[in-house]
Amino acid sequence: MKRRTLLLSGLGGAAALVVGWGALPPRSRLGAADTLPAAAGEIGLNGWIRIGADDGVVVLAMNRSEMGQGVHTALAMLVAEELDVALAKVRLVQAGPDALYGNVAMFVATLPFHPSEDEAGHETRTVRAGQWVVSKFAREVGISVTGGSSTVADAWDVLRLAAATARAQLLGAASLEWRLPTAELSVVNGVISHPSGPQGHYGLFAKTAASTPPGDVTLKPASQWRLIGTTAPRIDLQSKVDGSAQFGIDVRLPGMVFAVVRHAPALGGAPGGVNVEAAMKMPGVQRVVRLGTYAGSTHALAVVGTSYWHARRGAEALQVEWQAPPAGTVDSAAIEQALERTARDAAASDGGYAFHSRGDIRNALQNAARTVEQVYRAPYLAHAAMEPINCTARVGGGTVEVWVPTQVPGAARQAAARAAGVDESAVTVHVTYLGGGFGRRLDVDFVGQAVRIAMETEGRPVQLVWPREEDITHDFYRPAGVAVMQASLDAQGLPTGLKITSAGDAITPRWIERGVPALSGLVDTLDTLDKTTSEGLFDLPYGIPNQRIANVATRSGVPVGFWRAVGHSHNAFFSESFIDELAFEAGLDPVAFRLALLKDAPRHAAVLRLAAEKAGWGQPLSAGVARGVALHESFGSIVAQVVELSLEGGRPKLRRVVCAADIGTVVNPMIVAQQMESGVIFGLSAALHGRIDIVASVVQQTNFPTYPMLTMADAPPHIETHLVPSTRPPSGVGEPGVPPIAPAVANAMFVLTGRRIRALPLV
Amino acid sequence: MELSINGRIRTLVDAEIDPAMPLLWALRDRLNMTGTKFGCGVAACGACTVLVEGEAVRSCVTPLSEVKAKRIVTIEALGSAADPHPLQRAWISHQVPQCGYCQSGMLMAAAALLSRNPNPVDADIDAAITNLCRCGTYPRIREAIKTAAASMRGGAPATRDAKKPPVQA
Repeated sequence: MKRRTLLLSGLGGAAALVVGWGALPPRSRLGAADTLPAAAGEIGLNGWIRIGADDGVVVLAMNRSEMGQGVHTALAMLVAEELDVALAKVRLVQAGPDALYGNVAMFVATLPFHPSEDEAGHETRTVRAGQWVVSKFAREVGISVTGGSSTVADAWDVLRLAAATARAQLLGAASLEWRLPTAELSVVNGVISHPSGPQGHYGLFAKTAASTPPGDVTLKPASQWRLIGTTAPRIDLQSKVDGSAQFGIDVRLPGMVFAVVRHAPALGGAPGGVNVEAAMKMPGVQRVVRLGTYAGSTHALAVVGTSYWHARRGAEALQVEWQAPPAGTVDSAAIEQALERTARDAAASDGGYAFHSRGDIRNALQNAARTVEQVYRAPYLAHAAMEPINCTARVGGGTVEVWVPTQVPGAARQAAARAAGVDESAVTVHVTYLGGGFGRRLDVDFVGQAVRIAMETEGRPVQLVWPREEDITHDFYRPAGVAVMQASLDAQGLPTGLKITSAGDAITPRWIERGVPALSGLVDTLDTLDKTTSEGLFDLPYGIPNQRIANVATRSGVPVGFWRAVGHSHNAFFSESFIDELAFEAGLDPVAFRLALLKDAPRHAAVLRLAAEKAGWGQPLSAGVARGVALHESFGSIVAQVVELSLEGGRPKLRRVVCAADIGTVVNPMIVAQQMESGVIFGLSAALHGRIDIVASVVQQTNFPTYPMLTMADAPPHIETHLVPSTRPPSGVGEPGVPPIAPAVANAMFVLTGRRIRALPLV
Repeated sequence: MELSINGRIRTLVDAEIDPAMPLLWALRDRLNMTGTKFGCGVAACGACTVLVEGEAVRSCVTPLSEVKAKRIVTIEALGSAADPHPLQRAWISHQVPQCGYCQSGMLMAAAALLSRNPNPVDADIDAAITNLCRCGTYPRIREAIKTAAASMRGGAPATRDAKKPPVQA
C-alpha cells in the first residue's frame, strides 16, 4: 500500500472513533473550576488552579509524574510566572482522572511525518489534517501520560493560559471590591496592590474571582519573564536529600502486608503444580496467590508476608512445576539473525514500509561511482530503574485504592478496575514520586497484580515489590533492531543517495494491546505506521537528494516496551555512525562533512557548530585521545555531542562530553543541563554494557552484576551543556540527550583504532 | 532485639524478626524508616547504604545479628532542612538529585568517605562511591562531595565535626 493511503486509512480509523463526540463543542483545555475537586479553604478558578483563601497560595493540579526529569518544577514555574508568585508559593496536588488532564502533544508527535512536512507554520495539508484529528482524539479521550518528552510542550500554552486567566479574574475581583480600574493594579508575589494604598493577597479575592469573568487574557511576553529561563532550584530537592521523599515503595499504611512476586522463568510461561508447604511453614509467610496475566505480565505466584524479606524467603521456598509458554519459546540470537535476514531481503527487494522517500534511490545506487553498504545491530535492553517495580493496593467495601509510581495514572486505574472487577469510578489512584521511569512505568502489569493480591488479604493494604531479578527478567524490553545502511557516492566520494532498510518490532501497538484495550482496533494499522521502528532513521536532516528509508515491522514474540528515547535510542547509533563512515569515505572532517549536508537545516547546523566550537573541535589533543561527534534530533529537540576519550585496556575512558542543544524556549536551563547529563550517562550504560540475551524465553541477565550500569569511576567527569537561544515553543528535554552518545563514542573509538564497531554494546 | 539507630535504642519484637533478617528490612518494614532504599538485594547498587560504627555498609546483605550492639546511622539522622549536613547543603547547591531514589545511599557513602578522608581526590571518590545511579548524577555528586569536604575543612561554615559520624549513638 502507498504510504499516504495507509496513513489516511489509519487516520480514518481514528476519525471514526472521534465522530461520536464530533457534535460536542470543542472543549477548552482550561476546564471548569469543579474539574478540580475543591479542598477546604481553597477556591477553584479553573481546572488547574485553586487559591488558598487564607494565605493566597496557588494550588496547581499536577497531571504529570515526577521521575527525575524535573517536570514538577518546570510546570510550577509556568504557573508562578503568569500568576506573579514566587515558585515556593505554588503547591501541587495530584490531578484527577478527568480527560482534561490528558496529553495532547505526545499523541500528535506520534504521527509519522517527516520534519520537512511538519515545520510549524509550514505544514502540508495532510499534516494539518492528521494533527487535527489526533489532537481532537487525544483531547476527547484524555489519556494522561508522562512520556515522549512531551510534558512542557503539552503544558506550555495550557498552563500559562490557565494561570493568566486566574490572575485576570483575581485582578478583576480586586478591581470590583476596591472600585479601582484593573489597569492600575499590580501584583508582586501574589499580593495585589494599588498605588493609592490598598493591597491584599490573592486569597482575599479568590471567592469573588470565581464568579468574575476574566475578560481578554493575554500571556506575558517573554521580555517580562522573571522566572522562565532562570535556574530556579528544583522544588523536590530537600525531600530528596533527607530521605523524606515518598516513592511508591515508601508507602506505609496501617496493617499493611508485603508481597513478593515470582514469575514463571520463561516469558509467557505459567506455574503448573505448586507445593506451598515449605513456604507456608516459614515464619512471617501468610499466603500464596496465583497470578494470571495482567496487562502483558507473565503468569506468576505471589507470596504475602509480614515484610519483604519474609515474603521473599517464602517465594524462594515455593516448589513449582513451571509450564513453558503455549506459543513456544524464543531465543534472542535467533531473532537477531531473523531480523538481519528480513532487513537484507527487504533491502534487496525495496520491501518494507517507506517512512520517507525522495528522488530516485534506485537510480542513484545503480549509477553511483561507488556504493557503501553496512549492517548495524542493536540488542534488547531492560530499563532497570533504581526503584524496583512496586504497587500498593487496598481492596474492600467495593472500592479499590492504589498507590503507585506510574507514568500512566489513567491506565493504572483501568488496570486496577479490571483486576478487581469494579467500575473505574470505584478506584482511586495515588501517584507517588517515581524512582526512575524510563518508559518502564508506562506499563501497568504490576498494578493488576497488586490489586489481585489485595483481594486476598481481607481488606489489609498490600505492597507488592518485585525483586530486582524479576524486574530484569520480566521487563518490556527495548526491541532489538537491525538496519541495512546503503549509500551511493559520486566521483568525489560525496553521498548522492541514502537507503536504509531496517527490521524490528513496533512498540506502540504492543503497548496498546496490553495497556489500552479500548484502542486495540488501531493495532493492525499501527504495526506498520508506528514510527518507533524508524524514528532516527527516516527523519534525518541531511540534504542527501535520493533517499528511501523503510522498515519491516516484525513480531518477534518478546514483550517490548518504550525505553528512554525509544527508536532513537538505537537508530541514532545506526544513522550517526554511518554518516561518520561516509565522512571518512569522502575524506572529510566529520563536522565539516555534516555541515556541508546541512545547508537546508540551519538549526541543526547551528547546534553542531556550537558543540564543535565549545569542544575545541580540530584543536590538537594529547596522544591516545580522540574526539567523536554525533548530531541527532528527537522529540523536537536537536542535540549534538562531542566526546573526548582514550582507551584503557580496549575500553573507552571518557574525559569530557560537550552537549549543544536547541530545545526551543528554555524554561529552566539547570534542569536541561541535568537532563543532558542524564541522557549521556544513561546512554553510556547501554552503549558500553547493555544487552539482554534470551534463551528458550528465559532472560539470562538477572541483576546489576550481570546487567551492569555505568559507575562513578566510568562516568565522564565533565559534561557541559550549551543551549542555542530560541523563541520557539519548548520541545523535549528528558530523552534527546540519550541518542547521540553511543555514536559519538563509537566515532571517537574509530579514530583511535581504525576499526568501525557496528553493533551495540560497543565493548 | 535492641538496635542503636540514630542515637536511640529501638526495640524489635523477636517474633517479628530473625537474626538473619537484613538490617534494610528491619528499617523499612518493621520501623517504617523508608529513607534507606532497596535497589538490588545483592549489595551491588548501594541504595541501602547506612553507617555502622561510621563505616558505609550495604544494609540489604547485613544481617541483624551483625549490627546488634553497634551504632547505626541512617539518612533520617544525617541532617535536616533546619540543620543540614554539609553534604546535604552541597547536594542542594549543586542541584544533584533527579529522581532521587539513590541519593540516600549516595549521601551515606559520601558521609563515610568524608569522615575518614577530609580531602578526597577523584580517585578516592571513584573508589568510595560505587553506588549506582540511573539518572546520571555522578558528575554533580563528585563536585558536591568536594564542596562539602572544603566546607567541612573550614572553607565555609560547617555545622558538624567532619571527624565524627553525624550522630553519636
